[in-house]
Amino acid sequence: MKPQSISRLAGLFVLLVAGFILLLGGYMWLEMERVSAEIRAREELSARTEVVEGLAELQHRARGMAQALALWDETRQQLSFTEYYTLWRDSRTRDAGMISDEVEGVALYDKRGHILAPARPDSPMLDKLPGPPPLALLQRETSGSHLYMFLPVHADPDRRILLGHVGIKLDFTVGLLRARAYQFADLTHLQVDLPPGSALNLAQAAGHLRFATRLNPDLASFHDLFRASLIRLVIVILILLFLAAWLLGRLLVRPLRALSDEIDSLREPGGSLPNKPARASPLPILELENVRRSFSDYQARLSELHGNLEQNSRDFYDQARRDALTGAFNRRAFDEDWKSLGEDRRLGRMALLLFDCDHFKAINDTYGHQVGDLVIQKIADALQQALRAQDRMYRLGGDEFATLLRDADAQRAERVAERCIEHVLGQDFRQYGMSEPTTISIGIALSEGDGLTLHELQKRADLAMYTAKRPGSRKLVFYSEDMGGMAALVGNKEISAVFQAIENPDLIELHYQSVMSLPMAQKEYVEALTRIRFEGELIGPGAIFPIVQARNLDMEFDLAVLRALERDLTRGRLPAGQGVSVNLSAPSIVNAKVIDAMVGLIRHHPGRKIVAEITETALITQIEVASDNIRRLREAGCLVALDDFGSGYSSLRYLATMPVDLVKFDISMVRLLDSGERRQQLMMEDISNLVLTAGYQMVAEGVETRELLDKVISLGFSHAQGYYFDKPQAPA
Amino acid sequence: MRFFLFLMVCCIDVSAHAASVELTLPNKLVARAEYRKGDPGKPAVILLHGFLQTHEFPTIHRLVEGIADTGRGVLAPTLTLGVTHRQQSLACEAIHTHTMKEVEGEISAWVKWLKARHKGPIILLGHSFGSVEALAYLSDKPDPAITQFIGVSIIEGRLRLSSAEAGKLISEMRKLAQEKRPRVVTHQFSFCQKYQATPASLLSYLEWTPQRVLDASAQLPLPNLYIMGGRDDRLGTGWVDRLKARNRVKVIPGANHFMDGEHEFDLLDAVLAELNQTP
Repeated sequence: MKPQSISRLAGLFVLLVAGFILLLGGYMWLEMERVSAEIRAREELSARTEVVEGLAELQHRARGMAQALALWDETRQQLSFTEYYTLWRDSRTRDAGMISDEVEGVALYDKRGHILAPARPDSPMLDKLPGPPPLALLQRETSGSHLYMFLPVHADPDRRILLGHVGIKLDFTVGLLRARAYQFADLTHLQVDLPPGSALNLAQAAGHLRFATRLNPDLASFHDLFRASLIRLVIVILILLFLAAWLLGRLLVRPLRALSDEIDSLREPGGSLPNKPARASPLPILELENVRRSFSDYQARLSELHGNLEQNSRDFYDQARRDALTGAFNRRAFDEDWKSLGEDRRLGRMALLLFDCDHFKAINDTYGHQVGDLVIQKIADALQQALRAQDRMYRLGGDEFATLLRDADAQRAERVAERCIEHVLGQDFRQYGMSEPTTISIGIALSEGDGLTLHELQKRADLAMYTAKRPGSRKLVFYSEDMGGMAALVGNKEISAVFQAIENPDLIELHYQSVMSLPMAQKEYVEALTRIRFEGELIGPGAIFPIVQARNLDMEFDLAVLRALERDLTRGRLPAGQGVSVNLSAPSIVNAKVIDAMVGLIRHHPGRKIVAEITETALITQIEVASDNIRRLREAGCLVALDDFGSGYSSLRYLATMPVDLVKFDISMVRLLDSGERRQQLMMEDISNLVLTAGYQMVAEGVETRELLDKVISLGFSHAQGYYFDKPQAPA
Repeated sequence: MRFFLFLMVCCIDVSAHAASVELTLPNKLVARAEYRKGDPGKPAVILLHGFLQTHEFPTIHRLVEGIADTGRGVLAPTLTLGVTHRQQSLACEAIHTHTMKEVEGEISAWVKWLKARHKGPIILLGHSFGSVEALAYLSDKPDPAITQFIGVSIIEGRLRLSSAEAGKLISEMRKLAQEKRPRVVTHQFSFCQKYQATPASLLSYLEWTPQRVLDASAQLPLPNLYIMGGRDDRLGTGWVDRLKARNRVKVIPGANHFMDGEHEFDLLDAVLAELNQTP
């Protein structure tokens, strides 16, 4: 239903009420008319009843007069001796008071009904009785209507001897008027509905009388008074109604409309109720003022709520783009900022700096996540202090941060990066129980307005950062073109291959390189080296493991490698009884699932020599867990080798604590023997003696020549591997 | 004595043998009367009412009762005065056509009627003008059964005229009566100021002048007594004295013309006393 305006509704209401009042007035008018008509009908009935009663009374009176005459001795006298009848009729009857003045005529009739003497001309009487008396007749004559009453006259009281008849004549109208008092019947213009000269019995006269009904003066006055009062009342009510409508419009409708307009104004942006209401009504209406005040308060609260919501929205927006731990902008903000730059748009001068905490995972595992969080907070604070206020710092995840320097060249980017490194180094992490210093690696990619896309810039920064993370690298690395080989780290294809290989180990293609026992240089077992066959290309470890490490996929990837090894062993791709070694990362050696998989592999293939080569031992923080797992592997019949010894990933500390069987010298250590420098050779000799003295078997990597093989044999290495013997190969 | 009579009337009233009787007259009129049958051995009494009255007039009625109570037969007729079955007193203004002669005829008819029922003597008693009418009857051809007459408050039928004027009027009436044409005259007569009658009717009464009444009373051939009221104001001056001069008159002191009130008993006593003298 379409909403209607209050003025229209008020007008409609007034019209309805006016119509109702008019209807009510009309109804009262009609009701009064009906009651009046009913009273009139009753009055007419009463009038007719009066007339009927009058007729009866008239008849009674006439009969009484006639009866008096009939019983009068002088009447009998005249019937006996008629000589003086006319004198008696004309004089004596009246003089004796036997008839009243209303009696127009008296006549005596003999027994046969004939008149004794002709009546006087001025008062004619019927010459002959129309019927046997007693008889009361209404006679219509030219002189008017008359009542004739005829009675028999008897001689004796016992009415046995009929002498004759007496008749009297009365003016009917006068007689009827005198018969009684009439309250309702108006006999002034009484008409007798009879043909002239005709007569009828008085008992039937009522139906032939035409007379008016006297208006009840009280009723007529009341009726007129009621009509006048009703008209005045309706007029006054209508006037009052329209006055009320006018007042309603002034006091209610206009204020309501003004209030509606004011509220409507709220729909406009920034609209608000005016502080002072429009002067819509000369008389303030409490309820309307309350409504208006309520709307004003509501609008104020709504504005406040809106402000709070906007603030909350901003807060939520900010919080959604802030890292809860560090307060830095998060990955989402980073992505949005990237999008604001336009991924496909050519960039101007700018520098992208990626920060990564060195060995944070080890810190986290060693000192716990709480300390790790504190370290991240501290680093974030340091970086934020090192950056300019307008430079946004993002935490991309874990220990990885980034910032984008607009209009920055290499020098400025380097200054900022160095300042960041210095600030981080300046932090005191000992309060967290840490003894070793915490450092960061920074990868920097520059856009010199050379048409780089955002994606390319990000990829370059990633490569630079990974380069900086490599052992021995400078902690601040600019991207250079020679880093294109590491593109796999950031290439979508390689990353996809790694993730899919974890899901589907059949993509992992293990190449095996022989590990020879010395000094006879006989093949004792092979080392399984991981490749991924993806979309027809073979992806090598140089691309795989940086991704695994960067993505913290060590444990998952090691499990996939173990399943690939189980596949090869089950399918007999390795000769029966041939031992095999497999690399386990530091995170895997402390992982129960990996250990369980390793133990399962050993049990599934009894008789094979299984060697677990633990890589990146420097990253092992849970030494005790790692030691327990190593013991468990050894108990299962597995040999454990400490891989990459002498590189940044392995140290004497781990050698002293890990219950391993083999120590596998990193190729960088083995090559010291070919360096030609005596000091390096002596150091290698001393280290090998130290390991050997400690009771470990030693494995030399990277043996590519006979001379080098001889040197390692001379140093007491029990195993060697390298291109001198064979290159890693896929099984036949 | 009065009280005794009163008690007697009251006690015997219910046992009295009363009857309303009618008599058809020769002129076809029917006359009414009250008849009390009495002791056949006692004289019966005919009571005649006064001028224009009926037998139900109180004075007559009381006498009827009182006489009947003594065991005497009583007949109290109502003179028709030209009205059959007359029941009411006739007004002075009525058209009087009756004559003294007709009255005498009716008295005679009633005497005969009574004689047919009563073998003994009959005493005629008239009140007021009824006494005059009785005198007229007795003066003319009285029935031999009538043995006594009592006139109560007998009136002289006087005109309030001088003798000359009365004579002139009578002459005039005689002249009118002789014309034989219907006519009615109105004149003062007796107690009627406007007595309306035919000349013959009026004349028949006028001719009974006071002197004729005195003469008739004095010449009655049977015992008679006139009982008059001591304070009868309807009589002419000296009428009682003139009556006394020629008749036996008993005056009841204090009684008026109608002997009503306490004097009704005096009247009755007087009547009964007179009746008792009749064997």
